[in-house]
Amino acid sequence: MIYQAAIDESFPVAEPPTHAARLRSADPTALAETVGYYQHRLYRYLLRLVRDQVSADDLFQQTWLHVVRQLHRYDAARRFDTWLFAIAHNAAMDLLRRRPGESLEDCEFSLPARGPDAFSSVLAGERAAMLAAALAELPALCREALTLRFEEGMKLEEIAEVTHAPLSTVKSRVRRGLEAMRQKLCKEDIL
Amino acid sequence: MTEHESVRQLLALSAAGLLDAGEERLVREHVGQCAQCAANLDDYLALSAGLSELPAPQPPAYLVSRTAMLLAAEADRRQGAVFAAVASIFALVFVLLIGLTLRIVAGNTAAFVWLIWAVIISILGAASALVLASRRRLERSII
Repeated sequence: MIYQAAIDESFPVAEPPTHAARLRSADPTALAETVGYYQHRLYRYLLRLVRDQVSADDLFQQTWLHVVRQLHRYDAARRFDTWLFAIAHNAAMDLLRRRPGESLEDCEFSLPARGPDAFSSVLAGERAAMLAAALAELPALCREALTLRFEEGMKLEEIAEVTHAPLSTVKSRVRRGLEAMRQKLCKEDIL
Repeated sequence: MTEHESVRQLLALSAAGLLDAGEERLVREHVGQCAQCAANLDDYLALSAGLSELPAPQPPAYLVSRTAMLLAAEADRRQGAVFAAVASIFALVFVLLIGLTLRIVAGNTAAFVWLIWAVIISILGAASALVLASRRRLERSII
């Protein structure tokens, strides 16, 4: 019965009352609903961090497995999404530290060269693509801070909780990330 | 450090909405008088707006169902582990009670034979359970 419910593709994606309580019940429908509810945010965060789909897929599943296994440690006073992203952060950082040539902190980066169709980049879609490319070129910790701030809309304290970093460090990462992106994008006449 | 230099350090964080009220006021006052910082702040605001509006990558269609299946298997495994633990405790108590009864009724030899037999049966049972569990794990991975 558990598998039949889990295999069912038509998972309802509903507004969750309390995710932790539903996950604790080990009800497969509740599990699927909760995974479905957070899938876009969590996947986007992981993909921005690790920059390849296969790793993001693996980390997505690892994160949820870890959530279910560590649910007894979840403090209901904390926000569930912050806890979820903190687990995803740990999994992603483990992977990035093992990856050769991956820079976590160093803010030197180079934007991919613009092609002959540079003029068309003023169009919104092209501009977004250039922004996404510039973001992807940032060191992991800087692009994580920017993703959590601008895409997830998290507050400073929430980002600090997810990344296990002091507030001043989070501010520094956001500032360095934005400054590096601005410099590069200005050079390329995108800003 | 001049006011211009110190405010310049705050422009990116101002655009990100991460300054406290005092710092934000300082930035606003300076930007009103400094064209260079005003232009830089505009760049950062445009950049921030662009980042907020980046199109979200779509997760693959199979990801939710695969993850939910994984979690269901994990829940199933945990249920199985709890059941196995309870059954083991029950079996241990049962074996010890029977052994104690045999010792009182039929003597030490009968109790010893019973315990040896129970140990052999338990080892065979545990081996069978492990084989079944590994087969189930294989089935889950195939599904």
